[in-house]
Parts: sequence; C-alpha cells; structure tokens
Amino acid sequence: MLRRLAVISALLGVAFAALPARSARRPRYGGTLRVEMGASLASLDPAGAGSSPEEVAALAQIGPLVFEHWGAVDTPVGAAGSGAFRVTSWEAGKRAVFAANEEFREGRPFVDSIEIVMGRAAHERLVDLELSKTDLTEIAPQDARRAAEQGVRVSASQPDELLALVFVEHDAPRTSGSIASGNAAGRAGGRASGRPLAPAKEEVMGQALSLAIDRVAIVNFILQKTGEPAGGLLPQWSSGTAFLFPAAAPSAADLEHAKELSKEIAAAGPLVLGYDSADPLEQSVAERIVVNAKEAGMSVRAQAIPGAGGGAEKSRSAALQAGHVDMELVRWRMTSPLPGEALMDFLSRIYAGPLAGIEAGALPETASPEDNYKQQRAVLSTYRVVPLVWLPQVYGLSARVRDWKAPVPGENWPLADVWLDTETPTGVQ
Amino acid sequence: MRPSRGLPLGIRVALYTIVLGLFLSGAPRVSYAQAPSELPKSWNDSVARLADEVAAAMSPTVVKLDVENISSLDVSSAGAIEAAVRVQLQRHSFSFAAEDSAAAQSVARLQLSLSESAAEYVWVVQIINDQSDGAVAPVMIVAAPKADFADAAAGARTLSLEKRFVCKQAERFLDFALWKDATSGEVTLLVLGTNRLTTYKPAGSQWQLSRTSPIPQAAPPSRDPQGTINLAEGKITVKGFACVGDPDLGEGVRCSASKPIRSLGGPRIDIPGFPNSLGTDVKGSCRGDFVFLFTAEGDRTQSDSIRGRLTKGIPLPLVPSGNSLEFDGPVMALHPDPADGSARAVVHNLKTGEYEAYIVTATCGN
Repeated sequence: MLRRLAVISALLGVAFAALPARSARRPRYGGTLRVEMGASLASLDPAGAGSSPEEVAALAQIGPLVFEHWGAVDTPVGAAGSGAFRVTSWEAGKRAVFAANEEFREGRPFVDSIEIVMGRAAHERLVDLELSKTDLTEIAPQDARRAAEQGVRVSASQPDELLALVFVEHDAPRTSGSIASGNAAGRAGGRASGRPLAPAKEEVMGQALSLAIDRVAIVNFILQKTGEPAGGLLPQWSSGTAFLFPAAAPSAADLEHAKELSKEIAAAGPLVLGYDSADPLEQSVAERIVVNAKEAGMSVRAQAIPGAGGGAEKSRSAALQAGHVDMELVRWRMTSPLPGEALMDFLSRIYAGPLAGIEAGALPETASPEDNYKQQRAVLSTYRVVPLVWLPQVYGLSARVRDWKAPVPGENWPLADVWLDTETPTGVQ
Repeated sequence: MRPSRGLPLGIRVALYTIVLGLFLSGAPRVSYAQAPSELPKSWNDSVARLADEVAAAMSPTVVKLDVENISSLDVSSAGAIEAAVRVQLQRHSFSFAAEDSAAAQSVARLQLSLSESAAEYVWVVQIINDQSDGAVAPVMIVAAPKADFADAAAGARTLSLEKRFVCKQAERFLDFALWKDATSGEVTLLVLGTNRLTTYKPAGSQWQLSRTSPIPQAAPPSRDPQGTINLAEGKITVKGFACVGDPDLGEGVRCSASKPIRSLGGPRIDIPGFPNSLGTDVKGSCRGDFVFLFTAEGDRTQSDSIRGRLTKGIPLPLVPSGNSLEFDGPVMALHPDPADGSARAVVHNLKTGEYEAYIVTATCGN
C-alpha cells in the first residue's frame, strides 16, 4: 500500500510540475498579433498623422505602443522606442510592423510583434475576422450582433460614447448669463436659407424633439441592442444618476405634448439635421429622427455633411458655418471613466459649441454626484443638447487572443498585455 | 485537511441540520433601530446627510418610502441602508404610512434609489409629487464609499472549501505567508512583491508595515513575474534569484542568482483529466483520495473560482468535489502550504483593481 501511494505521489508530482506551463491562464510569449483598422495614419508624429477624428483616434491607440507615455493632449512622452514596442516597418497609411521591446521597463510584451494594416473598410475587417486573417479590429456597434452571430468573438466596452443631437451655433452674438430658459429669448440664431429661428423657438423645438424621439427603438432596431438609450450626459455605470434622466420610449402623452409644442412654432420650412456622410450609423439615426419628428407634427430634413460628427470642434466645419444646417448629430467619447472628469470634457465641448457665448456654471475640481447632476440638468434644460444613445466600443477578436480587455475611457489598447494562445484553432468558431 | 469525524452519516446530517437551523433562527433580522450601528461609519454619515437634505426640502410629515436597489449592493446591505434612512428620517420627525393603509395612497412619496457610479455608491432620494404636472422632482444625492460590506458577514459560511481574507494592496504581489514566532507567539505577515519582500505586524485589525528588503530584479523584468515564499526552508524564490533570511527581516535577505527559468510557452503537455487551469495539491487526503485545488478556466480578464478535486491516483481524472469559492477577479497565484494543508491564493480583484491575499482551506466533510 505504501509503495503504491509513493508511486502515485511521484506521478502526480510530475504531472503537477507541468501545470504552470500549460495553464490556460498563464500567459505565453511569442507570435505576431495581427491588427486591422479603418484609419490610415501617415505618421506617428501627431503633427503629421492627420486630423480626421478616425486618424486622431488611431494615433491615440498606436502612438502609445512606441512611446513611454502618451500625454493627455495626444502628445508622446519619451523617445520613440521607449515604449513596449519598436517600429520595424512603416508604410505610410498602409501597414506598420512593431517588434517587442526586450528592454521595456514594464517587462517585455508577450507577443513578439504586431502587424497593423490600415485603411481597411468595416466590411473588409469583419470578413477578415471571420476568415481568421486578423486577430483584432474595431467593429461598428450596429454590426456587433451580426458579427457575434457569424461566430466572431466580440468584446465590448461599457457604453462610453454619446450620440447626441445638438443645435448648431451660428455666428450671431449671444447674451451672456445664466443658461436658464428665461434668457433664451435674448439670443439670436441663424438658420437655413437665412431664415432666423429664434432661440426660444429652438428651445421649444428641442424639447418637442426630445419628447418625440424614440431612443429605445434606435437601440433595439438600428443598434441591434448594442447600446443604451441616453437621457443624460453621463452613462449610468459612470455617474450612478443617469436614471434621473428618463430615456424611455415616448408615451402617447409625450407625443401629444410634442405636438402641442410644435404647434407653437410657426412653420418656416423644415429644420435641417446634419449628419456625417461617412457614418452609416448617424445616417440611420437621422432618418429615424425625421420619422419621429413627423409623428409629432414637425418637419425635419436629414442632410449628409462631409466631415461632420467628429465632435463640437469638427461640427463647426465649413459646411455648418455656411448656415445650411440647424442641428447636427455628434458622437462624443468620454475621456475618463470618472463622472466629474468626463463631464468636464463634455461641458467644454458644449460651451464651445451649442451653448457658445453662455457662461457655464462652475464645476468644482472634485465634483460630487449632486454637482454633476445639477450641471447636466442645467445643460439639458436648454434643449440645445439632446442626448440620444450611449454606444460601446466594440472589438472583434480571433480565437487565439488572450487577456484582451476592452479599454475604459482614457485607456489605450492593452496590446503589451495580450498574448496569443497559438495552440487554439484559428478557424471560425 | 481535517479528517472527518467518525459519526455515522445519518447522525452527522441530523446534527448539521439542527445546528444550521439554530444558526438561521438566531440570525439577526434587519430592524430600523439596529441598522445604523451595522453600517460602516462613512455610510451612516451619508445616510444622515441624505436625511438632513430631505428635512431641509420638506416639512416633517407622514411619508411613504419606496426603495429600489440598482447597485451591486446585496439585499442585506440594501436593507440595512433602508432601515438606517428610516431611522434618520424619524429623527427629523418624519413618520411612515403603513404599506397597505389607505393613508399610504395619499401621503408624500419618497423614492430612495441605491445606485453606484464608477467610483462610489450614489444614494438618491426623489420627492415624488403626483400634482407636479411634469416638473422635475426635487432630488437629493449623496455619495458613499464602496466598502466591502458583505465581507463582514462572510465568516459564517459553512463550506468544504473556505477562504480567509488576509490582506490587500494596490501593488501586485506574488506570494504571502503568515509566520508565527514560536516563542513570543507574535504573527508576522510576509508579502513578496515583484522587487521587495515586506513584513507587517498586526496593529488592531490592520497590518502595520514593519520592514522592507529589496530583492534584485531580473533584467528586463518579466511581465508575468512569479515567486514563492517557502517558510519551511526559510527561502524565497523569484525568477532568476533565490533568497534566504530570517522571517522578520532583521538582517534583510541575501539573494543569489539562480538558474533563470522563463516560460516561453513550449509545447503544451496534455494530461488527460487535468483541468486546463492553475492548480496545486493540498497536503493530506480525504477518504483516502488525494486533494487538489484548481481555478476556473479562463483568462485574466474574468472573475475566477477555486474548486476542490479528488483522485484516487493514476489514472486520472480528478473528480470535482464540494463547493466553489468565487472571486471577483483572476487567481494570479496558488501556492500550497505544506505546514497546515491549506493553500495561499493571490487574487486580482477586477472590481477594485487591488490584489488580495486569501488562505484557502479544504475541509473533508460530507
């Protein structure tokens, strides 16, 4: 008996000695991570990388791979090559290869190299994922469900990008002061064809639209349930108070109220809603808003705008400045998971855009949940910013990618932590 | 491991049932009068502030308090907070209409929502007025720090696998050990970090930093550092080094280079019947079977669990046995403790971002 136990014990000891190396949780070194992205970067230098929102976002993901840090204002810190990877090949706008930095102070990355193919269209990236020709790529939120149904591994962040409707600020000066509705009448505004739409009417129109837009339908049908209806300027997971800004589907009473409001406004032709011509999601949402507005007795026309939708700054592009658009769709990504910091960034965009010329209430350095709530309430009561939905960042992964965690706002892609399970079959799952 | 007692199965089941019944019947129920003392002080302060704000917004009257928990707080914590709010409102001379009374239909309604943000709990009271004609309800909001309220009551579990929380810290560590001085009886906590060994002494319910001794690091440092403390042999090992020293670090530790081992992910050895996860053997046996502990299969972005498995030996497989211990993040390391048949687990809590030390004990029972 003792001899049998000794033999068994020895055999188990041998088996256990092999465990750490074969554990699915234990990272392994080696392999090339293949990444595809839509943007085409000309350079890793922020000055020469390009200025479209896609290019800026791509630079913010690739740049930190080769620099020690990536500053808060999208600027590299440290010499190139001080990061987790070093550039070994760069074909501007097309392809880049990075090799693991053996001397990286936080430890060598697990993968030996990363190959990034740039300028791939969304449908090409999805096909490549399905055929296991790539390991990691971004997926549009509205495509996430279909991709998952096709067998693609999908990783989604918390919803951290706000899709909102904002009234376009035109050049006419505004009266400074409180943003309470009583001051709205003192503001001037321009509108399509030079017909001015008084700010008070904008406010009424914004309120009517806010009541009439079916955010739940946008999430369920356009986004295929990848996202959340938005009533406030911060998502529930970040602020804990989003439930105080209802975003349910409009009730019959809401629609009736919206109709009453729209009757108050003298019809002077349709309101023009601009959307980014390169963004199919914005186009679908804009068309849905047109339908919702019609149900409430309002006339809204959707109009594609080249380059719109990249944020408040971008939205003030030449096309908008020309005065052909009354309102536009914008997509704003949170810069921090912390509600105070994220709201501060949104407010800076709002008070430089739809509420330009209006004095913002001071947000304390360490804002309490109540401070954040009051600031949101103040902005939303103007109805010049109408939140629609919260979108997550969605990524498609090949079967062999391990330890990938969708980054939270303000974080970069954790490519130094990712490792490849090279023994996992790479075929379609 | 502790051997099972020799009582017949039927008697043991009966005894267990009686003991469990006594325990459950004696468990305190949430009552408004007791609740405030059950909450952490910071939570009590938040509750008091919330009640103060309600009292400032409306005159004391009969109210109906509705509560909704949309946070990760468990039912008992939410109940304790609700009770505390009621007590605080009563101190401001509010009273509560009975749930089913006719008066409850007409009194002012307070909606208490227990929510949470990315950083803290957020507790909200809305004063609902049905005659407000669509106006925004007055809102009072307070924040409360996220404390692991559930941990306070976790010690009462009766499982075949038990975990005991030892300590936690923001910085990653590889192993830990509790060393008891045979003469003084004083306990020392050793924590092996990636580049130092630190000792702590007990100070009340906390651990107080005692000494730190640096440990040379392999160059370049590993992204997946590993190391162990072996109290029996009086040494620690980290990748590339073996160090010796006395457990209280009176003279620091002396390290010398050892043969570097680097897992380069060579061909995986498939052993039929072995789970594809972290595991360790545990000293002792259970009804003659060898005892092992294994984590769940998954990667380091997921929550994890530890479960016991038994085998009579070769051939495998290892048969799952008993309950699972759940963790809010991956088990980063699992080391056997040859002295008492337990294992040491280092867990990366994905909710808090902190690294936590647990002692996992397997008890052989029914």
